[in-house]
Amino acid sequence: MTLQGILVFAFNNSQIDYISQAINLATRAKKFLNLPVSIVTDSSIDSDVFEHIIHYKPSFTTGKRYYDGALSNKNLNFRNDARTHAYDLTPYSETLILDTDFVIADSVLSYCFEQSHDFLAYKNATDLSGHRNYGEFQYVSDTGVDFYWATVVFFRKTLLNKTFFDLLNHVKENWTHYKQVYRIEGSTYRNDHAFSIAIHIINGFQKGDFAKSVPGNLLYTTDKDILHSIEDNDFVFMLEKQRRKGEYTVVKTANQSIHVMNKFSLDRALKNE
Amino acid sequence: MDERLEKALEVANYMTTLSNQKKVLAEKYHSDLIYCVNGGQFTASNERIAFCNALVQHNQVEAVLIDDNQTPVLINDIKEFTENLIDTYAQASNKLYAEHAKLKLKRTVEDLIS
Repeated sequence: MTLQGILVFAFNNSQIDYISQAINLATRAKKFLNLPVSIVTDSSIDSDVFEHIIHYKPSFTTGKRYYDGALSNKNLNFRNDARTHAYDLTPYSETLILDTDFVIADSVLSYCFEQSHDFLAYKNATDLSGHRNYGEFQYVSDTGVDFYWATVVFFRKTLLNKTFFDLLNHVKENWTHYKQVYRIEGSTYRNDHAFSIAIHIINGFQKGDFAKSVPGNLLYTTDKDILHSIEDNDFVFMLEKQRRKGEYTVVKTANQSIHVMNKFSLDRALKNE
Repeated sequence: MDERLEKALEVANYMTTLSNQKKVLAEKYHSDLIYCVNGGQFTASNERIAFCNALVQHNQVEAVLIDDNQTPVLINDIKEFTENLIDTYAQASNKLYAEHAKLKLKRTVEDLIS
């Protein structure tokens, strides 16, 4: 029997409430996609919105700079190593992995379960601001391989996908080596990079079609932007102005799912919703 | 500040927000054009509709089409597929038209995001 569902990973740090974000995601997933959601976490959760609560103790913690708009930032702990274990942790035979800061407001992702490919990830994404050109979201480095987003990943339990996730864990466990081979700058381990490297390897160290695209576009706002408010399916954002640090233009989205990288403002908006 | 400049900056701010809103609508339109069948994903583009219509005109009943992921998909009833594609296109385009019409009436930044 095919079991379909969503898997989210939520590990709170001192400032960011990933659990609240996951609860919001699960509520919206039921509304728009009619899918159960399971959570992987190290916290105790007082909510019945999740089908399964899977406990996982992160094996390492890294530091990351979190921006809250263009003018404010903090260095906080970041525990993101569980995602590579998604194949073994998921209770579903068809799994959609989502970041907790992905806010669902439409049903486009339900097409993942209708199409025939066993592994999907976004390779292209659209920055809502329109004026930024982030090369880091096209290639893992200036001389590196194609960038894939780990924000939204769909997979079925197949032998090939088992091999892929085993490879992914190998890449993560030998991150110092792979980050040098693929010329990735910075010290922070990123799932996006690990997925991109593993996809490149499993394609035979070349561009290939192991990973097909998730249906629709991945819309995102960066942590230099601010999510001002959420009202049902309407989101109002303040987008960083071009060459005007600390100044913003406003944009409103309706009935469109979006990846909100400014986690501080997402937390605030969810509290005020 | 010079009153003319102040007015121009206000308009510039409005135009930026209007441009943002149009971009958001374009993204939504792209998602609304997706039609999934037989494990394939098809965007209801003008070209695809025209091609499918040509197949129907040539009395084709079934056909292999290449989907958005460059995967060949067997369509058993090309006529029904074309009708569904046109329906998807019409719904998405009508929605886009209505949203654009609403934007035209909004003359301030506050209106645009209200």
